[in-house]
Amino acid sequence: MVDPWTVDLSLYGWIALMGFLVATACGLVGNYLILRRMALMGDAVSHSVLPGLVIAFLFSSSRGTGAMFLGALAAGIAATVLIEAIHRKTRVKQDAAMGIAFSTLFAIGVLLVSLYSEHVDLDADCVLYGEIAFVPLEPMVTWLGVTLGPVSLVRMAAVLLVVVGLIFAFYKELLVASFDEALARATGINPTWLHYGLMSVLSVVIVSAFESVGAILVIAMLILPGATASLMTDRLGVMHAIAVGHAAVSAWLGVSLGVWLDCSIGAAMVVAGAAIFTLVWAGAVLRRWQRRMGHDVEPVPATSVPR
Amino acid sequence: MLTAGTGVFIVAAEPLRVVATTGMVGDLAARVAGDRAEVEYLMGPGVDPHLYKATASDVRKLQRADVIFYNGLFLEGKMQSILERMGQGGRAVAAVTSGIEHDRLLDPGDGSGHPDPHLWFDPALWAECIPVVVETLSTAAPESADYFAEQGKRAAADLTALHAWAQATIAVLPPQKRVLVTSHDAYGYFGEAYGFKVVGLQGISTVSEAALADMARLVDFIKANEVKAIFVESSVPHATIERIAADAGVEIGGELFSDAMGAPGQMENGYDLGTYDGMVRHNVTMIVEALQ
Repeated sequence: MVDPWTVDLSLYGWIALMGFLVATACGLVGNYLILRRMALMGDAVSHSVLPGLVIAFLFSSSRGTGAMFLGALAAGIAATVLIEAIHRKTRVKQDAAMGIAFSTLFAIGVLLVSLYSEHVDLDADCVLYGEIAFVPLEPMVTWLGVTLGPVSLVRMAAVLLVVVGLIFAFYKELLVASFDEALARATGINPTWLHYGLMSVLSVVIVSAFESVGAILVIAMLILPGATASLMTDRLGVMHAIAVGHAAVSAWLGVSLGVWLDCSIGAAMVVAGAAIFTLVWAGAVLRRWQRRMGHDVEPVPATSVPR
Repeated sequence: MLTAGTGVFIVAAEPLRVVATTGMVGDLAARVAGDRAEVEYLMGPGVDPHLYKATASDVRKLQRADVIFYNGLFLEGKMQSILERMGQGGRAVAAVTSGIEHDRLLDPGDGSGHPDPHLWFDPALWAECIPVVVETLSTAAPESADYFAEQGKRAAADLTALHAWAQATIAVLPPQKRVLVTSHDAYGYFGEAYGFKVVGLQGISTVSEAALADMARLVDFIKANEVKAIFVESSVPHATIERIAADAGVEIGGELFSDAMGAPGQMENGYDLGTYDGMVRHNVTMIVEALQ
């Protein structure tokens, strides 16, 4: 019998912790994406990495993790810069700009594959995306005699620390620029550079998360924690706190669900995260309904309702 | 365990826990391990190894395994680097293809040094993977080393017999009829071993769909060579090959197994498609019947 939280804690505990780190890093950055209506950035980057992978392969003649990571990161940054450039320099809105950038980059990648590497298995599924279930099988990192954890978990923790540090350092700027660009400009913040900075951090988060846990979990966790938080509050600080809570609960529920159904743990975490979103949504609907019922105690004639 | 008094050592050895990635590798491991191990494999029927998603229990199997075997040559994609690192960390992990001489491997034309991993369709070459399996199992359970060596010899003889059967069966096809058209480049070693010209529509990677020009060229090729039938594969979508068959006016010869075996116990003409032996016999019989 598998019991993820006792006998097999050394296995599924690492997986849950990894899920939490990935979901938190993605969720925190995702809050800003949702405010900027760029929530599908994860999906966009997942398609955009292909030309980076092919070019990295052509230069290094290797499908090793290092070359693939760098290629994917470069392509991810190129995608975010391209999206922003299209959006700023034309009348095209963010969502359409994302569509143009990632489909074009993906198509260039497919072209490069057919031209140069048709006989080598080279796609993101095969050379880039990791698998969260394999995290505990990785070699352990020890530092000053203390076992910190599996390699990619330690790397993800470092990425998360950087993300949290940057959010603390630039919180006011990000807050103003996310809600009111004109005000940001008036107070001396350069929203363009701030945005490019945010997008570079985003590329690092997305690509390193792809590399260790695979695509679907990352794409979902850029959206679900922030979307759940946005149902509950308008305040950015509170949104961050809710996103972290969402990450923790979906990691724990996801591992339990994955072990119970014996399915892909990454997919189970996404389903768990979506279930939390649905619960919060149902709660909000219920509250609104209750409030309306309260108001309806003294019915107002329909004709007198101001439009 | 030792039972005193009788003067006999009874070794109540737990069977080794062996985990393999693909069914073909699992079959090879089981042939050598015999009754001294329990062999499980992760990628079930119809699973494309490039698209395999691990389940929660797969990771537990890998962690608890005494010995892990995989194909190697990047068949398992990124999972290979995890397995390699487990091996470097002291676990008994081996790529069954690691013992094959490099010049025996097929380089897919571009000299990139990334050989074709689909070795198992040449049973004679597949048999050369046995020594690595014997060695790895013997290291994990030295008390059974003689047994594994014996089993290894038997396995090699079985695979050689399978190869001879395939040669005899294919002998009825005249050389000009030995043209195998399929969806992706999985049959290079098969073609090499049995004198087939192999044409894969898609290349080894499955990311790019077939180009229109490739499809048109393939239709011309089929007509020019009077190929009687072309084949779909169990782990690759069928649509494009069906379209080409319609355009070229040839029939679909049937569904070949490529990257995964059939379901265990799925019988056909008296052989089990869930075994390596059954899979090879199915492919050979189907190819010969359709092209005859």
